[in-house]
Amino acid sequence: MTGVWGRSRRALAITLAAALAITGCGSGSGDDGPRTLKLWHYEGPDSAMGVAWAEAIKQFESTHPGVKVEFEEKGFEQIQKTAPMVLNSKDAPDVLEYNKGNATAGLLSRQGLLTDISEEVAKRGWDKQLSQNIQTTARYDERGVMGSGKWFGVPNYAEYVMAFYNKDMFAKQGLAVPTTIEELTAAMDKFVAAGITPLAVGGAEYPAHQIMYQLALSKADKGWVDRFQRYTGTVDFHDPAWTYGAETFADWVKKGYVSKDSAGVKAEDMGVSFMQGKHPIMITGSWWYGRLAAGIKDFQWGSFLWPGLTAGSAGNMWVVPQGSKNKDLAYDFIAITMSPQIQDKLRDAGGVPVADSGSPAASPQIKELTENFKTLSAGDRLAFYPDWPAPGYYDVQVSAVQKLITGTATPRQALDELAKPYQENLANVGK
Amino acid sequence: MKRHAVLWSLIVLAVVMLAPFAIVALNALKTPAQYASDGPLALPSDITFQGVIDFWDRVGFGQKLLNSFIISGSVAVLAVVVSVLNAYALGIGRIRGRSWILIAFLVANTLPQEAMVYPLYFLAKETGLYDTQLSVIIIFTIIQAAFGTYLLSSTYAGFPHELLEAARIDGANKWQTLVRIVVPISRPTLGVLFVFSFIWTWNEFFLPLVLLISNDTQTVPVALGVLQGQRLMDATMTSASALLGVIPAIAFFLIFQRTLTRGITAGAVK
Repeated sequence: MTGVWGRSRRALAITLAAALAITGCGSGSGDDGPRTLKLWHYEGPDSAMGVAWAEAIKQFESTHPGVKVEFEEKGFEQIQKTAPMVLNSKDAPDVLEYNKGNATAGLLSRQGLLTDISEEVAKRGWDKQLSQNIQTTARYDERGVMGSGKWFGVPNYAEYVMAFYNKDMFAKQGLAVPTTIEELTAAMDKFVAAGITPLAVGGAEYPAHQIMYQLALSKADKGWVDRFQRYTGTVDFHDPAWTYGAETFADWVKKGYVSKDSAGVKAEDMGVSFMQGKHPIMITGSWWYGRLAAGIKDFQWGSFLWPGLTAGSAGNMWVVPQGSKNKDLAYDFIAITMSPQIQDKLRDAGGVPVADSGSPAASPQIKELTENFKTLSAGDRLAFYPDWPAPGYYDVQVSAVQKLITGTATPRQALDELAKPYQENLANVGK
Repeated sequence: MKRHAVLWSLIVLAVVMLAPFAIVALNALKTPAQYASDGPLALPSDITFQGVIDFWDRVGFGQKLLNSFIISGSVAVLAVVVSVLNAYALGIGRIRGRSWILIAFLVANTLPQEAMVYPLYFLAKETGLYDTQLSVIIIFTIIQAAFGTYLLSSTYAGFPHELLEAARIDGANKWQTLVRIVVPISRPTLGVLFVFSFIWTWNEFFLPLVLLISNDTQTVPVALGVLQGQRLMDATMTSASALLGVIPAIAFFLIFQRTLTRGITAGAVK
């Protein structure tokens, strides 16, 4: 008996000594030698964010002599799949770009893997720079639900859904830019009469259900959005707004605004067909802006806002992992990306800046993009995305709207399909 | 007539198999502007290697190739060694309960990687091997050796007894029998096992994705994943990366083609 005790005590002592040695090493390495800021993001080098953040890294290195930025470009999928594991290890980066929303940043904040940066936000005035509806996705309560509570991230750009249109094709039909849904349908009727399918739609991915959400939003108000996205009240999937959205979408298919074949079309092919001038209108997000600017050579194009509430939100944000060893440097870096210079750089590369510098934009199209966002932001018109409120909801949305396109489900059935997983998820958020 | 039917169906099959490669190659050599204006099926008007070069520089492809070679090569060698030792005991040594051991190996082999990922992550973290290539080498050695043991055990079970007896009469001990008799005779099978272990490990995506988080330890398939954006894809660069990604596997296959086609003919008495 004593022998066993003696052995295990010795083992315990050795373990403790080893643990002490390890922690001793850990605290010592921070002070001496050059420091490094480990930074991860997943934006391509040619994207607006990639361009702006590369500049931010340069600025950071020149204002922080002796600090090396160790930047690694990651894939979106890799961060999505491995973030909880990476952040829970000693190899966590000091600052990284992470997806906003309840199922991603909200979940990590609830698990205690992200640093509460509320104090830093107040001290550096980021809360003054970011408008109210941009802040929504940066703050999470103790259930990990966005919209209130502590700050866990700082969004650096925004995104929103709009209608891109082919100016040449509009001019050929003698049409003006539509400002109401009635004008939009009238314009689409004219295209159908001329034998052109007006809308480029990708039914196999996000574009189709964003259009249906957009239609529902035209009969909704901010309270409706809060109930749906932030669980502030009961959601009825057969209320006038949802019913209008689903029925109008089905009607658009029937009238030939949306091709029946688009049920199987990927977002990428939707974009290519618009760039080839096959369809005059594409209703999708600002993330397409850079691609269109680079890819369209043969015609004039522009964008217009959807009247009323619009799907959109802050973009992905900077988060500081709880395990970050250089939190002070991480905050300094975030501050640089929020500076007018970097925000202008982001804007002129085709992104939507969150902080307004007031300097003139590089091109009229970019001016249009940022002005429209200011309109949305000032009018509190951002309504987030339809696939946010429940985990795995994206696939549900895609499949329900696909059935509307192929005509295998009635609008009522499609809405029932949306309702089920949503109601089931309410238990997980404590409702 | 019948012969032609077979020929034609083989041609159709070959076209179906090769069409995706052709489309990848087509788009890899196209400029992004041309892709946008003419679509994915048009022939490239002027051939550009810019996509390939850009991708190589962007992810540091040389380093990834080296990493993949180190990992796949080590796994292939180790898996063959472990499998031979296991199979010698199971197939020729005929130890007790061997069918249960084989069944356990098979069951372990059918486990989806998604189910193992968290335990493996935890073990790697606890042993300080998280984000090291050694962790991936150990894990895949075991996974490939499980299959290898199964394959070799059944081949060794049919190993000619005359040969083993002759060796024993000549005074060889068990180790000498293994090294001088069993391994040389089953070399073609071992070659097949080596090639398969190498290619399968080369193509692994999910576990390396989870376990190798730094860019300088990553393998080729993980590097290809970098281009997968949240909502957009760069079609020409993705094609360029896919082209770069399959070339090593094809090259390796061609080099070892003879080993593969010779097939499993081990154990034949000459």
